[in-house]
Amino acid sequence: MSIDSLTGVQPGSNLWRYVSKLLRLRWVILISGFRRAKLRGKIGTLVLLLLALGGLAFAFWLSWLLLDFLRSPQIAEFIGDTTYLLYSVPVVVVTVAFIGILMTGFGVLLQALYLAGDMEFLLSAPIPIRAVFISKQLQAILPNFLLISLFALPVLFGLGAAQGYNLLYYPLVIIELALLAMAAAGLASLLVMAVVRIFPARRVAEVLGFLVAIVSFTCSQSGQLVNYADVSGEQAMQAFTQLERINTPWSPLAWAGRGLTAIGESQWLTGVGLLAVTMGLTLGIFSLSLVFAERLYYSGWARVQVSIRPKKPARASRRVEAHNSGLAVVVNRLVPAAVRGILVKDFMVLRRDLRSMSQLVTPLILGVVYAFMLLRSGGEPPAGRGEAPPVFMEVLGNLMVYANVGIALFVSWSLVSRLAGMGFSQEGKSYWILKTSPVSQVKLLGAKFLVAYLPTLVLGWGFLVIISLVQTTSFGTLIYSLAVVALTIAGTAGLNLAFGVLGANFDWEDPRKISQGSVGCLGALASFLFLIISLALFFGPALLVSAFGGPQFVGQIIGMLLGGAVCAAGAIIPLWLVRKRVALLAEE
Amino acid sequence: MNSTGNTPLIQTQNLVKRYGDKVAVNDVSFEVRGGEIFGFLGPNGAGKTTTIKMIVGLLQPTSGNVRVAGYDVQTQPLQAKTACGYVPDTPNLYPKLSGRELLRFVGDLYEMDRQQNERRMEELLRLFDLEEAGDDTIDSYSHGMQQKTALAAALVHDPKVLVLDEPTVGLDPRSARLIKDMLRQIANRGAAVFLSTHILEIAERMCDRIGIINKGELIAVGSMDELRSIGKGETSLEDIFLSLTGGAEYAEITEVLR
Repeated sequence: MSIDSLTGVQPGSNLWRYVSKLLRLRWVILISGFRRAKLRGKIGTLVLLLLALGGLAFAFWLSWLLLDFLRSPQIAEFIGDTTYLLYSVPVVVVTVAFIGILMTGFGVLLQALYLAGDMEFLLSAPIPIRAVFISKQLQAILPNFLLISLFALPVLFGLGAAQGYNLLYYPLVIIELALLAMAAAGLASLLVMAVVRIFPARRVAEVLGFLVAIVSFTCSQSGQLVNYADVSGEQAMQAFTQLERINTPWSPLAWAGRGLTAIGESQWLTGVGLLAVTMGLTLGIFSLSLVFAERLYYSGWARVQVSIRPKKPARASRRVEAHNSGLAVVVNRLVPAAVRGILVKDFMVLRRDLRSMSQLVTPLILGVVYAFMLLRSGGEPPAGRGEAPPVFMEVLGNLMVYANVGIALFVSWSLVSRLAGMGFSQEGKSYWILKTSPVSQVKLLGAKFLVAYLPTLVLGWGFLVIISLVQTTSFGTLIYSLAVVALTIAGTAGLNLAFGVLGANFDWEDPRKISQGSVGCLGALASFLFLIISLALFFGPALLVSAFGGPQFVGQIIGMLLGGAVCAAGAIIPLWLVRKRVALLAEE
Repeated sequence: MNSTGNTPLIQTQNLVKRYGDKVAVNDVSFEVRGGEIFGFLGPNGAGKTTTIKMIVGLLQPTSGNVRVAGYDVQTQPLQAKTACGYVPDTPNLYPKLSGRELLRFVGDLYEMDRQQNERRMEELLRLFDLEEAGDDTIDSYSHGMQQKTALAAALVHDPKVLVLDEPTVGLDPRSARLIKDMLRQIANRGAAVFLSTHILEIAERMCDRIGIINKGELIAVGSMDELRSIGKGETSLEDIFLSLTGGAEYAEITEVLR
């Protein structure tokens, strides 16, 4: 049977009936998921919905105020005439919405077409293939459209209210955004197939997840680096000029935005003309994409992968050379083979699974941002108005000497919470391999402790040494700080690992969904509290002794004894308490 | 058959597993000797996998005990696990490890000598026709390849007791034949092979003795001849199985499909 005969057999009257059936199925799954959720989950969903609605109203009000404010004479004095900027707002919003839906639609369609696993069932059922594709496209469009609308509608409606646009502007905004979303999703489906032809779908999903996590986290933290107090009127104007650049006359997205503005200002001929062109274009793109996508999918074009790298030749029988270096011999003697094996395995798995890596890289970004902020401040306490007592300023000054330790430990805490807290859960459905092997609970806990401790120690020490070198911290303080970081990480690793054992969850498919229940959250909170207490014990005596004019090393020794004892207890006692629990893991 | 031939390498005594009010396994006792292939049969949900999980130390029994190679799985778990190799029904292996890395890791868990582990690993990869794919990550393997990798992992340390839950599911006829031949060789070398299967033909041809579990209770144990003698004149294992576990529902199904 040819492709044409199949794709052609789609009576128009039946097509939409099947689409509605397929969409109803998604709706039933959604509602059923909500009904079966625990009461806490249901309340959470409803609260989230109410918050979204509240946010929508607030964003509308804020946009109205802000856009009204942009027209004020004071702003005009500061950054010049803003009329052109206000005209650019719809273009910018429409462009951002289109690109946003194209990107998010790519991820959703990749999942829906290649990873969800229902395509075989749907395509083998007596359903027109076009109905399947339309429903898949709508699945990709609807959630993203709602999400984008959450940001776009308040701004565009706020602009309408601030500029006093006529009433036809408002429904046209919604229609225009919906059509753009359809075109974006159509293009996204073609993009998905082109990419899947080159790379395996699962790998693409992993890389995409990694990139999205890293980019969004970097963007969320980059705001910390901006010094808003120093922004001049000229810089603000330059930033706005960049926005205006999007409003180019040749861009169809600009036509859509300009059409909306023209309709709002009752320039009917321009408005109707521009909107008609963009609506026709979007509908055309959606229809063509739909036809091409279903044909390419059904013909198997995308599944016949074009390998871009040559297949590695099969390795001949390998021999692992015995490591004869001094360090290797010592490590082999001290660390049992099972512990070494688990260490190597965990590091390999973490490194290769980009979905896990995205969670591990975020502390690094956090560390870079906060280290930059510390270095920018020059390591000096804020002078304030100079009314603080000298003793207070002395203590604050000494405290700033240890601020680098605070940053190194904060970064380490974010990493160790993930590595130790998920140490056991990370095993997932493969945990049976460890459980049926002759590895004692002590060795297993020891291995998981080292998996969390060693990389965190490297990260913490790395940050500390770099910041200390830049700040030219004294050698004695650096050594003391290194010891503090090493001991505190050990304490937090032990505590987090113990909570990880209590809340272990082996039933997951996506590593980003490992964390289940409140135990992991409790572990992170408890270890953060532990971090503060141990820091107070390490540095408190040194700060107090210095404040009263005593020698700093005496305070450091007292601090080391107190803090060291607490950290050793944190590393050992929680794990000793949960050791018997390890034997029962994955039996519930 | 070697000297371990008469030694019971798997012993379960009054094994019980309860989940709340539900009794999954009830008072199950049997022995599997060295050199023997023991087939464990039962309808879906009869308690086969639960029993297997208790034997390999994945589940703690509610009462009763299990001994593997003479070691109590509860009180001497490390010794018992050292003697045992296990292949689960679903081969959930680390998807981001390659076949070679997985086998090396398993060798480390069993504290094997590195050189010996490498030799054994290459032998097994060659045997299961995985040599070429050995450096690819397991997530790129087909179900059959994963099943073979799981079997290779269970054999790396040359166990005295091999426990397999549905070992031939998803395998092509060539691989299935290879596994059947291999299990016989392993048993001939004195190991105890315990396998569960739904394919009664495999059980009838391969197994020296067969145990049938139904609704958590072991309802029959013995060789094919012994099972025939307790039946009502049935000669094939299929008939014996259906007669013992109740075949009324099959008649209903046939009626519906007619």
